[in-house]
Amino acid sequence: MKQNGQIVYAQNLAKSYAVGKREIEALRGIDFTISPGEFVVLLGPSGAGKTTTLNLVGGLDRPTSGALSVAGQMVAEGELHATERSLDALRREQVGFVFSEFHLLPTLTAVENVQVPLVWVDESGRDRAEALLCRVGLGHRLTHRPDELSGGEMQRVALARALINEPALLLADEPTANLDTSTRDEIFELLRELSNEGLAILFATHDHELAERGDTVLRLSDGVILDG
Amino acid sequence: MSWIAIALKNILRRPIRSILTVAGVAIAVAMLFNLLEFQRGYEKGLRSELSDLGAHIMIVPRGCPYEAATIVLHGGKWPRYMEEDWYSVVRGTDGIESSTGIIMDAIIRDGGRENLIYMGIDDDYPELRPSWKYERGGWFDEPASAILGASVARSMGVSAGDTITIHDEPRVPATQMKVAGVLERTNSQDDGLIFLPQHTLQKVFGLEGKLVVILVKLSDVSRTDEVVSSLRQASMEADAGMNVFPLSELLNTLTSLLSSTRVFVLAIVVVAFVIGGVGVLTTILMAVFERTREIGMMKAMGAARVDVFRLVWLETLFTTIGGGLAGVLLALLSGRGVVALLRLVLPHTPADFAMGMSGSTFGICIGVSVVLGVIAGTWPAWRAASISPITAIRGGSS
Ligand SMILES: Nc1ncnc2c1ncn2[C@@H]1O[C@H](COP(=O)(O)OP(=O)(O)OP(=O)(O)O)[C@@H](O)[C@H]1O
Ligand SMILES: [Mg+2]
Repeated sequence: MKQNGQIVYAQNLAKSYAVGKREIEALRGIDFTISPGEFVVLLGPSGAGKTTTLNLVGGLDRPTSGALSVAGQMVAEGELHATERSLDALRREQVGFVFSEFHLLPTLTAVENVQVPLVWVDESGRDRAEALLCRVGLGHRLTHRPDELSGGEMQRVALARALINEPALLLADEPTANLDTSTRDEIFELLRELSNEGLAILFATHDHELAERGDTVLRLSDGVILDG
Repeated sequence: MSWIAIALKNILRRPIRSILTVAGVAIAVAMLFNLLEFQRGYEKGLRSELSDLGAHIMIVPRGCPYEAATIVLHGGKWPRYMEEDWYSVVRGTDGIESSTGIIMDAIIRDGGRENLIYMGIDDDYPELRPSWKYERGGWFDEPASAILGASVARSMGVSAGDTITIHDEPRVPATQMKVAGVLERTNSQDDGLIFLPQHTLQKVFGLEGKLVVILVKLSDVSRTDEVVSSLRQASMEADAGMNVFPLSELLNTLTSLLSSTRVFVLAIVVVAFVIGGVGVLTTILMAVFERTREIGMMKAMGAARVDVFRLVWLETLFTTIGGGLAGVLLALLSGRGVVALLRLVLPHTPADFAMGMSGSTFGICIGVSVVLGVIAGTWPAWRAASISPITAIRGGSS
């Protein structure tokens, strides 16, 4: 099933949640692939299943059925599921996350926040963290704490943090939802550049305007991908 | 950036709460420290005091020796004396290296405000008191001479070569004594005593042929039981009514008198540790709840269960070890006060009794702090490790 050179391969991927006695089908069998350097926009209204998809691809949650592999690693295939350990390793080595909330540690400076994912691999990587902050345009805010940064700046720190482990895939769940349009465009442009440099991106949004600027658009509605 | 840095920064995030938690542990550790050091210092003090005495067996007339001591200290007649003849029986007993007979009396005047205790000693006495040191002068140079303890000499304002007068009319006619020597301060009862040649005291106080205690030094300590029983035998045969007991027994009596107090204090220490430990547990648990989303994000970034567990555990350990170190410091700072308090409260405190710091006490205190951290940290760390990244990250928007 390991698809030649694809970063993400999902086939008939489904996820349902049990709420009381009811089953909520958040994803009803979706198929898609993401190649290296591809910028995929996952477009859909609220409740369509965007976050659910990202969680499955990032190994934060397990699919109910279907096949999924990420960066050449089997995440799920029918009844088979990857172990918690290998999902931890997948996130540690291959995947980066950004969310609409920034989730920065308030006690740490910008550089320190970027270094956090290196703590559990016993690396310091301060130089790399500084270089990444410069890359996202925050070279002048290295030692600022989150409460001393603007929303756009915090999202840049979060982005640098997501990139510190040199992932093959970036999962972005409405990262611009809390930003004004000009900041939104700046962040999006940054992601475009990163994608051009070879980073595969899965970008969830309900913003049609942004969708047009991706390489590929997956229109998600009520747990299914619409054609066209 | 390291685990340690993150853990420390997390602790410092809520400084007041952390300080209160650390203080709870510190109080418990300080109490434990004082208890351990007290035990060590007290026993050491008693032991050195007894070995200072140089005697292994004490012989007194029948009757409670503590009661007798009280009577002497508060004045009044010694309840019972023993005959000097008995001393020669003791001296003749096999296994005795040296022995000395002592006679005591006290003069109380001004309704107890002036209380002088006189001790009559013979030439053998210094042999049993190897640590005796003179500040001035030396041993008796004539029958009418005296050796003064440091405190008495100071309160009387006399030194070697001066003259003192003993009088307690009509019982004791005024008698002049030349001060032959003044002892160095020892912080023991010696400081408050006036020593006279045995026969002089007997004559002046009208106690000819009487003794109150005989101290015996053995040539071989391992034969103590044997010598004690042969002395008891001799006492029975002569119908002398003597109480013969080894001083090691006295040590046991005094230490066992304290053991009930110690159990009580230990119970308080345990309660303090439980309170401190619960404080640590709730603080860390609160911190984990407050940081649910943060921890969820860490997991999303690839932190495994063990990584999160380790982080929270480290925070707990830093808190309790910090408490342990603060507690030791607190104990060292309060040590003098505690000793002063104990001297007031306890029936007997050895002269060179002090609270110090031994490596073992320090080790136990820090070890207990670590164990406390391990115990109090396990549940919160496990809770933190079990946080699901999706619910934690989703949490904010719902
Ligand atoms: N843990 C859960 N338990 C039960 N139902 C859930 C759970 N998570 C998601 N759902 C449901 O699954 C569906 C898809 O949710 P999802 O969060 O993926 O939507 P979304 O496209 O990300 O929406 P939004 O734009 O509002 O973030 C929704 O109907 C939601 O109520
Ligand atoms: Mg969503």
